[in-house]
Amino acid sequence: MEPWYESKLSPVALPDGITLPLEIRVHGRGGQGGVTCAKLIAALYAGMGLAVQTFGDYGSERSGAPVQAFTRVDRTRITNRNKIYRPDHLLVLDPGLLETPVLSGVAPGALILLNATAPPEAFADTFRHFRYAVVDATEIAREQGIGSSSVVIINTTIIGAYLRLLGLPHELLRAAFDKLGLLGDLPAAELAYQRVQIRETAESGAAAAQPAAFSAGSAEVTPIAGVAQDFPVDLKTGLWSNLSPGYRNYTPPCNAACPAGNDIVAFVQALKKEGPEATAAILLRTQALPAVCGRVCPAPCMNDCNRKAFDGSVNIRSLERWIADHSELSLPKETAAEPRRFAIVGGGPAGLSAAYQLALRGHHATIHEAAAKLGGVLRYGIPEFRLPAEVLDRDLSRILALGVQTVCDRPVTSAELTRLASEYDAVLICTGFGAPHTLGVSGEELPGVEQGLPFLERVKSTGEKVSGQVVVVGGGNSAIDCARSALRCGADSVRIVYRRSREDMPAIVEEIAEAEQEGTRLMTRRQPVSLSGADRVTGITIAEVEAGAPDASGRCRPVVTERTTELTCDLVLLALGQVNERELLPRDWEFKEGRIYRGESALPVWLAGDCCTGEGTVTHAIGNARRTVLRMLAELAAGPLEAQPGVADQVVAPAQIRFSAFEVDPPGQDRHIPIAQARQGFAEFNLGLDGPQEAQRCFSCGQCTQCDTCLIYCPDGIIYRCDDGYRVDLERCKGCGMCVAECPRCAMEMHEKNAQGGKP
Amino acid sequence: MKGELLSANHAAALAATLAARANRFGRGFCSGVYPITPSTECMEFLCNQVIEKGKVVRVESEHSAMGVCIGASAAGARSFTATASNGLAYMAENCVAAASLRLPIVLTVANRTMGPPWNIWADHGDALMLRDLGLIQFYCADNQEVFDTVLAAFRLAEDPRVLMPVMVCMEGFILSHTVAQTDVPSQEQVDAFLPPTRVPQQLGSTPHSLGQMELPRQTEAHRKQHHEAMRAAGAVLDEVRAEFGRHFDRELPGAVVPYRMGDAETVIVSLGTMGLTAERVVDSLRERGQQVGALRVRLFRPFPVADLRRQLAGKKRIAVLDRDLSVGLGGILWSELRGVADPGALVQNYLTGLGGGDVCPEHLERIVDDVCSRSEAGDPVFLEEL
Repeated sequence: MEPWYESKLSPVALPDGITLPLEIRVHGRGGQGGVTCAKLIAALYAGMGLAVQTFGDYGSERSGAPVQAFTRVDRTRITNRNKIYRPDHLLVLDPGLLETPVLSGVAPGALILLNATAPPEAFADTFRHFRYAVVDATEIAREQGIGSSSVVIINTTIIGAYLRLLGLPHELLRAAFDKLGLLGDLPAAELAYQRVQIRETAESGAAAAQPAAFSAGSAEVTPIAGVAQDFPVDLKTGLWSNLSPGYRNYTPPCNAACPAGNDIVAFVQALKKEGPEATAAILLRTQALPAVCGRVCPAPCMNDCNRKAFDGSVNIRSLERWIADHSELSLPKETAAEPRRFAIVGGGPAGLSAAYQLALRGHHATIHEAAAKLGGVLRYGIPEFRLPAEVLDRDLSRILALGVQTVCDRPVTSAELTRLASEYDAVLICTGFGAPHTLGVSGEELPGVEQGLPFLERVKSTGEKVSGQVVVVGGGNSAIDCARSALRCGADSVRIVYRRSREDMPAIVEEIAEAEQEGTRLMTRRQPVSLSGADRVTGITIAEVEAGAPDASGRCRPVVTERTTELTCDLVLLALGQVNERELLPRDWEFKEGRIYRGESALPVWLAGDCCTGEGTVTHAIGNARRTVLRMLAELAAGPLEAQPGVADQVVAPAQIRFSAFEVDPPGQDRHIPIAQARQGFAEFNLGLDGPQEAQRCFSCGQCTQCDTCLIYCPDGIIYRCDDGYRVDLERCKGCGMCVAECPRCAMEMHEKNAQGGKP
Repeated sequence: MKGELLSANHAAALAATLAARANRFGRGFCSGVYPITPSTECMEFLCNQVIEKGKVVRVESEHSAMGVCIGASAAGARSFTATASNGLAYMAENCVAAASLRLPIVLTVANRTMGPPWNIWADHGDALMLRDLGLIQFYCADNQEVFDTVLAAFRLAEDPRVLMPVMVCMEGFILSHTVAQTDVPSQEQVDAFLPPTRVPQQLGSTPHSLGQMELPRQTEAHRKQHHEAMRAAGAVLDEVRAEFGRHFDRELPGAVVPYRMGDAETVIVSLGTMGLTAERVVDSLRERGQQVGALRVRLFRPFPVADLRRQLAGKKRIAVLDRDLSVGLGGILWSELRGVADPGALVQNYLTGLGGGDVCPEHLERIVDDVCSRSEAGDPVFLEEL
């Protein structure tokens, strides 16, 4: 760094009207460059061969804070070490500062230079005892691109106006700017020199405004000892800040991921502080089947949990199960302003969810179910060891207790659908998937080659036995269920053949592992190409599959090779998914955007669940049905949609969580019955968590937990607890942002106050 | 008025830079630095200089900053650092080591109130906290004096009869951030004034420890040697001042700076910039016929007992200003000065500008009124009580 100024000019005569010693005071705001302005003025006078002294009144070194800077000029060494209380020249860089005592100690006859947009006449009264000048230095500096668009730096510009006001030699300007490396700002100063408007003194003879008291003031100072609370400083430092902190909710990733739309953070946090009943009250708002979902949900919430990258996702699925298993709560039925009647076709997850949401809101819902009992895939497709019937019945009884009507064991025909649509206010079709996919290879018609779902149903209803070697084809939950059921039904060996990699299997990860532990062998990247046998299947030829280019799902497209192996087998179970077909719909009905049209007119008929979306999980069906109900209700009442709980505009990313604020604590693991015992029968394999303490691991991403971190880290001690959270004393908040930076869970943000600082 | 426009922080750093470069024919220069308001600009300036055979090490704390200086000085390099307030408190342990190991390190302190509660403004209490550790202490009153004293401090510290750290104090902001014309000599002039550093206990090629265990008898002897060397430093300072004047064609102020003391009956004694304010007040009061003088104490350690006795002999009323407080006793300058004033003199203490308050001529006039109205000295008076 070079010493920043050295006079090379010979002494210059002082213009008329300047007497020495001379005292100049600059009022500005932090960031405007008031101190540099005072230094430039010092440089001008030093260039005239005079002794100078210049300094800032430091302390509030923060953008927007009112600051003062001083320059003294004399012929000889300056020994005055005080601030300037009675300035001869006053520069005010921001007209907003006129509300502060800038005129303190300024005597009549003093020179005042003001940066303002308003014309000089606007200040005629304020400055009537003074010779004064006004220049719009901000406009000039903005034209010249000095500073940024939000904070325009005017300290160099205004020097041009000062030079003109004083009648100082023009060449001083270029010399000072050159030496300081500020020649780029010289055109702005030249413009200010031209544009400044000077007004002569209107009146004289008044007394100087009294300077600010030389003593520190007599206000009583709070003692330190014996005062337990932080005491606020006298300085209202909130005036300095451009930013202020605030509390806000962001969307936690679990909430964003939940297909059912559960407010996961809310119920997990409630479980930390309250019992299962209070927690269930939150969960049951959105979730008709918590005991079911707490067992069979693939839990995308856990996949997206921000704790995953730290020490493992929170075991949300099992917390949901724990709440459902430990609470007897049912939400009270509300009274609808205008109760309506709804027919729901299909009593699976979607139909049950829809009926529950309608009944909860005081409407009449009748479920038409083709099977003997309600539940659909839950009752007939998911094995007992994953979802015991009494668990399903517990969730069902809560739904039915709301007054939901049921018509079971009677399939609805196309003709009946048309009738229902005319009899009810609306019909919701929740019939799930259609027929299962087939392999399309030779020998598929042989006895011993069966679809998985009917197999699972028979296992549940008739206790079917199998023997020999079983091959299951597929990679979803049904494939796993088939394999594990086959083992339990007496198979000697079970293999799962899947055409992609293990990572690509849609089945729940834990269940794949459990199936392997029980003895199922996985054969991935294999595709059956033929089935063989005389009067019954005895062999299956499988080809190796290579990974091709990624398809629309992001997974690699399987490329079947010529390399094959033949396995002997006694039973082949196909679990390849189902067709999404809507055969039930009358011919003149057209499915469009979740509902039914006849020609151009929309009928009061909607679809929900797999028959609508094909998303294929219980949880998606539950969520889609609930959202469809809300859509139906809004449309029928011509009113607004109900808001989704626990969702804000931005999802919290792992990088926004302060991992250092948390201790490593591995996830709570589910308990299981011993593998040997599991293989012997259909007892529930997973016993869930042994307590709700897993809820303690929740980061509560984006949602304040009143952890006091902000209060503790505030360097000024101006965050206080209040009834519903915290209060920031904005009069004293300097806007440092430490509270926001330290918030462990991204539940705070900084707001912009005012680009030029100043008033909050 | 000629000279470069420099803040006192930059003046100190520039003086240290010139001294650093002057040792390029010796063992070079090495400095450990760490920032703290209001001293930061000093180390920033130093970090930006190109110094042949020199290195400025940016460390993680003041403690380590002085640690680097100790190592550098023990290796025979010229060394310098700068700090303030709580930074100085954190550095204190190594300041003891630097002093007791008799290493000629120069340290500038931009005096700042000790916190918490936090206060960034001037107060001499930080440097005075280290009063008894064996560092020479200067208190300056303007930018030129800061520059000159830092330059002279190297010569004084490195004198074989002295060999101990020298602390050069400037009040935070009042001096540290104030820009004024400062006369800066050429490198050749500084080279001539400052011979290469010679540390007699300099580490050789064999590694060894410094400052090992010693027994009471040895410690007593080392303390005595340190004390005697410190006492002798006053006389060495006079030699350095003479050399300074010879090389730079201006005078370096001495241990004390008397102002219109000759016929003064009432004397204002102070440290730092308050001394200049006192001189202005003396001028205006003398115009009103009052026989007032001012005495500025520039060298606080070694305490210039003889100079002070000579200046204060026969003075009846002495108002001692302290921008510091030894809590439970009073001002530190006052407590020391009582021992050197005439036994019959009225020595009254005024605590002025604690925590950085602006001490104005109006205040000092009130103080002179107060001391003149007393028949005997009382407890130290806080400015707000006047």
